[in-house]
Amino acid sequence: MNEHKNDNEEAQSAVSRRGFLKGIGGGFIGSAAVGTGLLGEQAAAAVTGPPTMSGPQRITLHINGTQRQLDVEPRTTLLEALRDRLQLTGSKEVCDRGQCGACTVLIDGVAVLACMTLAADVGQREVTTVEGLAPEGQMNDLQQAFVAQDALMCGFCTPGFVMAGEALLRTNPTPTAGEIRMGVSGNVCRCGTYPKVFEAIEVTAKKRRS
Amino acid sequence: MVPFDLVSPRNLRDVAESLADGRGEILAGGTDLLDRLKERIDPPARVVNIKSLKELYGITEDSGLSLGPLTTMTEVAGNDRVRHQYPALAEAALSVATPQLRNMATLGGNLCQRPRCWYFRSNDYPCLKKGGSVCYAVTGRNKYHAIFGGGPSYIVHPSDTAPALIALGAQLEIHGATGKRMLPLHDFFQGPRENLLHENRLQRDELITRVQLPPAKESTRSTFLKFREKQSLDFAISSVAVALDMDGDTVRDGRIVLGGVAPVPWSVPAAVQQLQGRRLGSAIDDAAEAAVEGARPLDENGFKVTLTRNLLRRALQQLAQGKADAR
Amino acid sequence: MASWKPYDEMKVMGQRQPRLDGPEKVTGRARYTYDQRPPGMLYGVLLTSPHAAARVVAIDADRARALPGVRAVLTDIHPTGNVRFAGEYVAAVAAVNKQVALDAVALIEVNWQTRAHVVTLWEAIDEDAPRVFADKDNVTESERGDGDVDAGFSQAETIVEAEFFTQVQTHSPLETHGSVAAWDGDELTVWDSTQAVHGVREGLAKALEMPANKVRVICHHMGGGFGAKLGPGAYSVIAAKLARQAGAPVQLMLSRKDQHLSVGNRPDSWQQLKLGATKDGQFTAFECTTWGSGGIGGRGGVSQPYVYSFPAWKQQHHDVATNTGGARAFRAPGRPQACFAMEQIIDEMAWKLGLDPLDVRLRNDGNETRHEQWRIGAERIDWPRWRRREPGAGAGPIKRGVGMGASIWFTGGRGTKAQMDILSDGTVEVRCGTQDLGTGTRTLVAAVAAEELGLPIAAINARIGDSDFPYSGGSGGSTTAPSVAPAIKNTAEKAKAELAIVVARHLGVAADTLSFVDGTVRVASGQTLSWREACAMLGANAVSVQGEWQEGLSGSNVAGCQFAEVEVDTETGRISVIKVVAVADCGLIVDRLTTESQVNGAVIQGISYALLEERIMDSETGRMVNADFENYKVLGALETPEIDVILYDQPERGVIGIGEPPTIPTSAAVANAVYHAIGVRLRDLPMTPDKVLRALEGA
Ligand SMILES: Cc1cc2nc3c(=O)[nH]c(=O)nc-3n(C[C@H](O)[C@H](O)[C@H](O)COP(=O)(O)OP(=O)(O)OC[C@H]3O[C@@H](n4cnc5c(N)ncnc54)[C@H](O)[C@@H]3O)c2cc1C
Ligand code: SF4
Ligand code: FES
Ligand code: FES
Repeated sequence: MNEHKNDNEEAQSAVSRRGFLKGIGGGFIGSAAVGTGLLGEQAAAAVTGPPTMSGPQRITLHINGTQRQLDVEPRTTLLEALRDRLQLTGSKEVCDRGQCGACTVLIDGVAVLACMTLAADVGQREVTTVEGLAPEGQMNDLQQAFVAQDALMCGFCTPGFVMAGEALLRTNPTPTAGEIRMGVSGNVCRCGTYPKVFEAIEVTAKKRRS
Repeated sequence: MVPFDLVSPRNLRDVAESLADGRGEILAGGTDLLDRLKERIDPPARVVNIKSLKELYGITEDSGLSLGPLTTMTEVAGNDRVRHQYPALAEAALSVATPQLRNMATLGGNLCQRPRCWYFRSNDYPCLKKGGSVCYAVTGRNKYHAIFGGGPSYIVHPSDTAPALIALGAQLEIHGATGKRMLPLHDFFQGPRENLLHENRLQRDELITRVQLPPAKESTRSTFLKFREKQSLDFAISSVAVALDMDGDTVRDGRIVLGGVAPVPWSVPAAVQQLQGRRLGSAIDDAAEAAVEGARPLDENGFKVTLTRNLLRRALQQLAQGKADAR
Repeated sequence: MASWKPYDEMKVMGQRQPRLDGPEKVTGRARYTYDQRPPGMLYGVLLTSPHAAARVVAIDADRARALPGVRAVLTDIHPTGNVRFAGEYVAAVAAVNKQVALDAVALIEVNWQTRAHVVTLWEAIDEDAPRVFADKDNVTESERGDGDVDAGFSQAETIVEAEFFTQVQTHSPLETHGSVAAWDGDELTVWDSTQAVHGVREGLAKALEMPANKVRVICHHMGGGFGAKLGPGAYSVIAAKLARQAGAPVQLMLSRKDQHLSVGNRPDSWQQLKLGATKDGQFTAFECTTWGSGGIGGRGGVSQPYVYSFPAWKQQHHDVATNTGGARAFRAPGRPQACFAMEQIIDEMAWKLGLDPLDVRLRNDGNETRHEQWRIGAERIDWPRWRRREPGAGAGPIKRGVGMGASIWFTGGRGTKAQMDILSDGTVEVRCGTQDLGTGTRTLVAAVAAEELGLPIAAINARIGDSDFPYSGGSGGSTTAPSVAPAIKNTAEKAKAELAIVVARHLGVAADTLSFVDGTVRVASGQTLSWREACAMLGANAVSVQGEWQEGLSGSNVAGCQFAEVEVDTETGRISVIKVVAVADCGLIVDRLTTESQVNGAVIQGISYALLEERIMDSETGRMVNADFENYKVLGALETPEIDVILYDQPERGVIGIGEPPTIPTSAAVANAVYHAIGVRLRDLPMTPDKVLRALEGA
């Protein structure tokens, strides 16, 4: 079990101790969890139902290297949490149904869709958004390449493409042309920047290799 | 989304209990469930997040292969054993959705996902499948609907992994309040005539806890081909999963299962019969023809008959030529 | 008449200049309308009509109002209560978050009285069809023409007749339409995802019956428009009203579904064409009967006869009303439809006569620029090799072919004003009320100013997208570059002249002995000042000037042609575009990099139109069944071909707009290539696998 990162949340650590997988279910404290956190696992199971979140609750999200507290409901998506609660509007809402990739973020380094993820389900896993790829006011090499190759037009799809490209390069530092296309095939660009997106990823892959 | 309680079960009993009254629904990767929650289709009172259960993860090797239902499509497609011994499954998993969705989408969720029929997916249509009194697709827009086994609902089962797993002879381990049972995946699905509201035979307190593949035989060749209108993102317009037990060039036995064409993954034993005892290369056209025998297309989906026949022919040709990695 | 300096002396314009707002956009810092979060902002959601034709009898919103978190509810937003398409706005809610707003909308009960509807062109032209507008036929006829068509056809040695269909395409910008409205007393600020900040200001002021000077419209970044965001939106007015009722700023962004349904589309078409030619391919006459439905909006026009010269022609057009969302300008309105049909019938004629399709085009193409472009394009795709291949001749199930198409677009500049300040610390700020749709306008503004002042582009602060800035028109019709570039040049010229006067006075030389190059001010006598030194002479007396659009710096009539190479899988019906050669007229190029992107994007949208996109209507319920991005299929990375963009420089023509023209001929070129590959013609867009398989079976 990974050490939980948030010491000030006693109840949360109780949840963690009960053997929840890292980041799953541990991000919120249901009333049942608070109540049972002080009991042993056996007793808890006997006395009450499983940890349940009903209604708004405070959770802690680990985003871009910082911890952010916010109130969410069970139904709040990660995308709403980022955009509407934390003002991290880099991740875009475009289809809100998993069909376009504009809301792509990394969770523990893996590219996922924030619009199809419940905020309360993120737990202690590390979320990286487009704002977190480089320190404020700077760009990482992939972002620089997007600008240099003009891999963006209106730019509304761009954060999603950058995140998908970043995820691709982290898992496959030497992608073929086909793998690059495949890597961003979950992202829609209405302006038609695809050819330049391919170039930007290719250029960055080469640069990272040398 | 209609407000719901989010439950983190500690064990399988918690799951069964949370589901028992029929007002709970399992959350795995969420890529299907959230879509329906947002559209407010049959909203559950309770969402049971099974990702808190360690035993549902991972791929373990026994005589065959045992896959946890929370294994993601990315993991399935990238697993070496799966790729080498059960290529049809690897290809199917890789054909699901998009890279991001494959990182989220689980195997259990893929088998239990609900239909994509556009009337079903919009809250504007109280169709048969939602307890209403009409199927809008029969007289409406049905380009992507069923050509086999339709009526009174004409959905197609959307899962890509199901045809592959059935062809490979997979079994499910299922847990419910009264304990566990095993069920061949082939018997897991049910068409609208058997049950309009549920596409599978899970009891309401049950969940899939394991997907079990039989030992792979040296003599088995398998492949999966999926046709999409849009390559970058699309459900199967039609797919074919083939697993053949070969004696040299001759087909001993096997299974052929079609996806995207019927309310359930559609097994075509008649096509296998055409192959049995014959050299694969010589029986392809007969098998492909037999596979689409009895198709009953609707107004707009007749092309799926031709497409499916040709797709199966192509899959068999590729197997005959020994190209296991064919797209 | 004003003129540009010689092209080869330009240091900033004509280069490959990465767009200036790139860093903001790739890091997620760029704030679009969707991203505005003024303090206390509420989230608005619309209740839309599920019916294609109905009257609102009553709306009961009491339960919505009573829901905790709801701050404003409007039930009177429909102007007449008489709904004419599924997706019309009938009520709106603002709440503390989007979930609550959605809950509230779900609680509103509407008592509907439905009427019969027609949602397809076919249904609407039926004599007994229900009327979309009670007082008007569904069909409006018109006729245009020139010359004696009958005589033309009697001179023809061959006549080809054919029928073509094109689908409804929705604009599908990734940022949906929407606004954030914030009141400060009686003053209103609106962030709007728009192609026209000034147009929206005028429209909003009128709708809200308030003076225009009390309304400010801001659009710093916007996520695509393609013609759908040229006018003031009802959603902006609704946002403003919700904000007033709630006493807090309100954001109202359309959902993806709303976007597909209610804010424009490219109308469909049905075209019956007849073409006559002599046996050596000289056209003698052209005649067509066309239908097009722009829903409730009219505008179903099809721009025939497209591009080629005909001694005689006639078009009888039927504009058809249906109970669907109204059409809006969409990247070269009326042209792609016309081009798809015209280029195919020409192709048909050529193959029928046993002539080279390219030769037939050259013979009937009166545009000299395009003659040269045809030559370049043909060479790049290696047409001489392809033309020897008979249509459908390839072996094997997967066949290849090449096809072509041509375009023209009558862009041009129009009145735009701009303002420039040069401050004593050397700061240069240029302001113009235009907007950047992703076309690179912001970068263009800076590039033109930098060129004129002899400064690097980074030295210019280009500020656009604000109705408080000097007037510029809507960004549509590919007019932005030819409207804005001359205005910026004129403004910079004037600012430079004023600065020169001050500097000259300080140095005791004549102003006309100064030149502004490479970030310096040079005096003919040999002395050189840095830009900052020169500006320091301004003291507190900053330069602040207004300039405007001038004749002579921009051009129109943008010609182009494209060749497409495709692969058709005859067993599955899949068409894959392998390569497109796009020769694009571009006049004086301001920024090569962003110009290339524009052409790429236009071609990609063209392929998407050719192969994938279609609004699918359910006749019975009158609704669109694929109002999403799953079944409304927008081209993705795996469908993107190699695109060979050839920018056909003609700097002497001045700045022209190229946003629209390169999307026109793509679907036609692809269709002709498909015919070349399989020997069977597809006359119906989009060319999806079902149609390919059916066509092959019928062949
Ligand atoms: C844009 C888009 C494209 C898609 N494309 C494809 C595609 O090409 N091919 C394809 O096959 N699918 C596709 N899908 C559907 C879906 O994403 C996948 O099928 C995915 O595998 C579902 O898994 P999940 O873990 O996300 O399921 P969830 O959404 O978590 O669950 C889906 C359903 O299964 C139930 N469930 C989950 N796990 C279990 C279990 N262990 N036991 C019992 N019930 C369970 C849930 O209660 C729920 O009803 C697509 C989805 C989207 C949004
Ligand atoms: S096919 Fe099934 S899901 Fe679709 S409308 Fe008919 S009954 Fe409903
Ligand atoms: S907004 Fe999440 S995938 Fe489109
Ligand atoms: S840059 Fe506009 S949608 Fe991609």
